Amino acid sequence: MIAGQTTKVSRTMHGIFYDPLHDEIVVPVALAGAVLTLPGGANGGDPPTRVLQGPRTGIVQPDTLYVDLEHDEMIVESGDDAVLVFSRTATGDVAPIRRIGGPRSQINNIYGLATDSKRNLIIVANRVEMGGRNSNDGILIFNRTDNGDVAPRAKIAGPHTGIIKIRQVVVDEVRGQIFATIKNNFEAYNYADQRPSPWDPDKTGFIGVWSINDNGDVPPRGVIKGPASGLVWPAGVAINPASHEVYAIDSVSNALFMFRTPEFFFKPPTSTAGAR
Amino acid sequence: MKRRFVIATAGLLLFSLTGTTPGDTPPEGAICPTPAPASFEARLLALERENGCLDLDQGAEPATWPPGWDNATIAGGDVPPARVVADPYPTLHSVVIDADRNKVFMSDPNRHALWSYERLAASKGGEAIEPLTGIRGPSTGMMFVAAVTIDRERQEIYSVDNDIGDRMMVFPYDANGNVKPKRVLDVPHQAWGLSISPERDEVAVSVEGPRQIVIYRRDAQGHDQPLRTIRGVKTGLGDPHGLFFDGQNNEIIVANHGNQNGRQVAPGDAPARQRGARVAENLPIVGGRFDEPSLTVYPAEAKGDVPPIRKIQGQKTGLNWPMAIDVDRTRNEIAVANNGDSSIRIFRRTDRGDVAPIRIIKGPLTGIVGPMGVAYDLKNDELWVANYGDHTALVFSNTASGNVAPKRILRNAPAGSPTAGFGNPGAIAYDSKRDEILVPN
Repeated sequence: MIAGQTTKVSRTMHGIFYDPLHDEIVVPVALAGAVLTLPGGANGGDPPTRVLQGPRTGIVQPDTLYVDLEHDEMIVESGDDAVLVFSRTATGDVAPIRRIGGPRSQINNIYGLATDSKRNLIIVANRVEMGGRNSNDGILIFNRTDNGDVAPRAKIAGPHTGIIKIRQVVVDEVRGQIFATIKNNFEAYNYADQRPSPWDPDKTGFIGVWSINDNGDVPPRGVIKGPASGLVWPAGVAINPASHEVYAIDSVSNALFMFRTPEFFFKPPTSTAGAR
Repeated sequence: MKRRFVIATAGLLLFSLTGTTPGDTPPEGAICPTPAPASFEARLLALERENGCLDLDQGAEPATWPPGWDNATIAGGDVPPARVVADPYPTLHSVVIDADRNKVFMSDPNRHALWSYERLAASKGGEAIEPLTGIRGPSTGMMFVAAVTIDRERQEIYSVDNDIGDRMMVFPYDANGNVKPKRVLDVPHQAWGLSISPERDEVAVSVEGPRQIVIYRRDAQGHDQPLRTIRGVKTGLGDPHGLFFDGQNNEIIVANHGNQNGRQVAPGDAPARQRGARVAENLPIVGGRFDEPSLTVYPAEAKGDVPPIRKIQGQKTGLNWPMAIDVDRTRNEIAVANNGDSSIRIFRRTDRGDVAPIRIIKGPLTGIVGPMGVAYDLKNDELWVANYGDHTALVFSNTASGNVAPKRILRNAPAGSPTAGFGNPGAIAYDSKRDEILVPN
């Protein structure tokens, strides 16, 4: 466990990246407007080896991030509806190399980021809440080198996607697949409003798998969803292609699930066993 | 039955790729365990089904799939997990005592509940103690519950939801089960600490990210607005957690982690921020900061952007993720649940600057592991500690110091039951080098 004041981690860390090339853990600290890089073997109160923080960074309250190991770049959610791109080793108070944001970009409220370095893409889990279960949440796909207020090259969103309350995303570059956590709930903060609860979760969430080439209002190519899965409101996803496993963390069950799904790691996913 | 958990409190949790494996025999500790009849543990486990946990042999979910899915070729489906890591027992977060009625109340963010216990209840060995009451279920509206406190005069229990819920809820002492709160109050997102001043008939709530203390009438409900807000650059508030509203000395004491996000804090006269209302978005980007943790003190009437009248901060304090605090006004001492180094630190109430605590309770004999809650029982000269990193509450003399064993241990799980430590987790990563899963908590 990595914990304590010296580590500089805090609550509200909605993203994390393990860098196997440099054996580092990269994590955003929303409450301190920072990105921390820790040794891969960090434990206890070990401090970060690098801290990215300060007014030049444009980092306000970063929820999530990803690292493009091929291009040695770190992709950070700014906390004010923008994607910031830094050198992977950026430290201190440095300006981003590129920034994607603005009305044309459709970037609104980022809950997940990923890259596909082989295809030079940035994937954004984007939330556009419209009240109750209405939403325009989706997956926005940009060219890696996009900069400024540019439209996404593709957008996976709409009722057929089932995407409501999207959270963390991860990309399997070998097979060109996006894994996304979909909480599939809604939030009602008016105390008097009917709303989902841990015991009455409305519609349960799922892990959805889309092709990196998908665009529009399309169903997922793969899914983990249903009572046997145990998933209620999944918030985080990671993959282990070597063992054909998908890992999901559930924010309301406070549980970590490990699924063996070899069919997701074929190319393209073809199995229909158990599918709905 | 195997169980592979990791003891944890907060921060980044690292799990090796074990866990429990669903199979012919449902494993103990799994997310969907099969309870044996009659025991308290069994009843707790049974409650897990209500917690969104669906039996493996339950039929397929009703046809609520999104449009177009029925005709699509979709791999996977309702895949059972190969392994699960979860903690079926409550994790103790916040604690408060009514010594006159011999009751102790604790909050539980793991199983979304408030539990009460007999004050003198203690585990003689490794056994768990059965609670007097448990408030839990959809009618409660409880989500990711944080602090709990009580109004002894009116025999009411107050708690706040830190996340998802953003509500303060009030229940009667004798509430038990799936019951509606007596009153509900909308509070800002990321509320954590809660303290009532009977002298002023007010309740104060700390709010982490917006770095503010909001003060309401004690009986506020619904959309009632705060009477006043302490917030702004001069306040020194940074990721505030525990607080104590001292109506006798007319001040509010706040424990700060010190985190300052990248946008300038909103002025104190701005409306209290509700979820989704970005009142701060036009404020300048000033860059994030890690200030040192601190205890800051404000006049009870403080409003807006006011500096603290005292501040305890610096290397000598040893403050390290200070969570809940409580004040012994007979001895003029502040007790701090110092989560980051598993200690309880006692300061003089009037200390200021970089001062060492007058006593520290810490060490292997104490059993303190990632404490989140601390509370005095002044009638019985005792100090209670709620261990988030272990399934225990510990009772010490309120003058205890050093590496001393507690007077009593109240277990809410059999001794040795590990704590997964998850609290509304939002992301994971796979460490392919170590074959571990990283969970930021």
